[in-house]
Amino acid sequence: MIEHEILNVENLNFSYSDRRILNRISFSVKRGEICGLLGPNGCGKTTLLKCINRILDIESGIIRINGRDISNLSRSEIAGLIAVVPQELHVAFSFSVIQMVLMGGTVRYGFSGIPGRKDYTLACEILEELNIDHLASRRYNELSGGEKQIVLIARALFQRSEIMLLDEPTSHLDFKRQHLIMEMIKKITKERGLTTLITLHDPNTAGRYCNRLTMLNRGCVCHHGSRDNIFHAESLESTYDMKINIEQTESGRSVVYPAFELNKK
Amino acid sequence: MKKNLPFLIIILLLTAGILFALTAGQFHIRLDTLLDLLILKLSGKTPGEEIATQAMVLWSVRLPRVLMAILAGSALSVSGVVFQGIMRNPLVAPSFLGVTHGAVFGASIAIIFFSTAAFSIEVSAFLWAIAAVAAVYLIGGRGINTLTTLVIAGVIVSTFFQAAGSLLKYIADPYEQLPTIVFWMMGGMNNIIWNHVIRASAIISAGVTVIYLLRWKLNLMALGDEEALSMGVNVKYLRAILMLFATLLAAASSSSCGIIMWVDLIVAHISRAIVGADHKRLIPFSALLGGFFLLMTDTIVRSIPGGEIPISIITSFIGAPLLGYLLMKQKKQWRE
Repeated sequence: MIEHEILNVENLNFSYSDRRILNRISFSVKRGEICGLLGPNGCGKTTLLKCINRILDIESGIIRINGRDISNLSRSEIAGLIAVVPQELHVAFSFSVIQMVLMGGTVRYGFSGIPGRKDYTLACEILEELNIDHLASRRYNELSGGEKQIVLIARALFQRSEIMLLDEPTSHLDFKRQHLIMEMIKKITKERGLTTLITLHDPNTAGRYCNRLTMLNRGCVCHHGSRDNIFHAESLESTYDMKINIEQTESGRSVVYPAFELNKK
Repeated sequence: MKKNLPFLIIILLLTAGILFALTAGQFHIRLDTLLDLLILKLSGKTPGEEIATQAMVLWSVRLPRVLMAILAGSALSVSGVVFQGIMRNPLVAPSFLGVTHGAVFGASIAIIFFSTAAFSIEVSAFLWAIAAVAAVYLIGGRGINTLTTLVIAGVIVSTFFQAAGSLLKYIADPYEQLPTIVFWMMGGMNNIIWNHVIRASAIISAGVTVIYLLRWKLNLMALGDEEALSMGVNVKYLRAILMLFATLLAAASSSSCGIIMWVDLIVAHISRAIVGADHKRLIPFSALLGGFFLLMTDTIVRSIPGGEIPISIITSFIGAPLLGYLLMKQKKQWRE
């Protein structure tokens, strides 16, 4: 493993019952990078995130964080290394926003397991940093989709883990909020020296915000590398099984759009 | 201050409720006599002949019954709060998850096959209550729509234990064993003595203390297993401990008072609406409200002219329409 690689996945296999979902997955992410996981529905993106966070037990392979095999780590040690922002969180009983954020720090609360006054102050500071301090006493269930997503990001930040896993954090948001959230993720990844692994549906969003991409198809990694090296029509076509055009805008950005000829294979 | 107002109100209500319950009933004790008896007791003096009967009723019959009603109401309500939290479901409660019927079945088995000693009845009640809740969880905890499947699994397991309980009634000795089993199935506090109160208070205070110590992690459990795992909670271990102690609370109540339906579900629900979802406030508030609710219900059933009626009749008369009202009011939230 190269020294500055924080996350390294080697030959990971995972099956639900007899059905193989992830097949010989290998890739790595360097410290400070935003790595986008791209691929069609059902290709195993979310399953891969759950395997990395050890929510699901892998069949074989190794997942290393800072060189340590996570299968040897306790639940709280993993929580100290990895924070998760779920796609959408339905909560049966509505907690306040500040409580939701404080839950992120549970592994640090020691023997009593209860947050102290200092933790409240720190959680409030994170809400301020993300400009949602006015929501602190609001009920989580009463918030809009975008606000909920920022609260979950605040919770992940409060967890103070080195790696942040985000599962399609923008899939329920409108165009403007998608980009506000992605800008926020980019900013905090840079400022806090985090490493972010994010599953995304839209290749344009991935191309704009991620500096590393891992493309999955049918449970296998079909392309992995820096955005500049692999963000081209051929790799996206083989990932999504469709014809894709890429055009350069005047500002030099690549814009992906379908060629409307669906690949028959 | 505003935040603590619900606690202040429920403490005042409970205090007033205790005074009312100690004085009210078929044998009325005047408030001034009650105070005299209390002063005499505190000063260690023996009451005079004119109030000797009142003293006997108060210290030997009414006070243990009042305390048991508060304890059982608190235990059932906290148990309801915990089950709702770990199953993330506002419709579950021990009495609807087969815990209560499992406990009664266990008690009936002990009465028929072992002995009528309180200890063997309580242990058997507890073990069968655990078996019932484990069965519900295995049957209903894995479906796509766990809200519905858990409730259905609760109906299945409750029905099974009800049928098994009826079978035991059928084979029980009609003179020795049957009356004890029937008492258990009807629920009530007319046989409560100090021994019950002492035993139940030890179990219930231990159970509530352990659950209260785990209040923050219970908050995380209420978000979902994956969420709790991601934030470092050992979900399997914590759920097992919480379910064990919540079942212990429900079984401790059932082993002294028999089946009491609805208190767990309704009080947990109302408490959540009043003080919110944080278990730091929810656990103590539901304990106080549950104690008050069952105390008042028990006072009603023993004060009605024409003899005492089983307590579950009143709790069901209050609980069922109230749940119907809440269901209509919160349709949207429960659909999720």
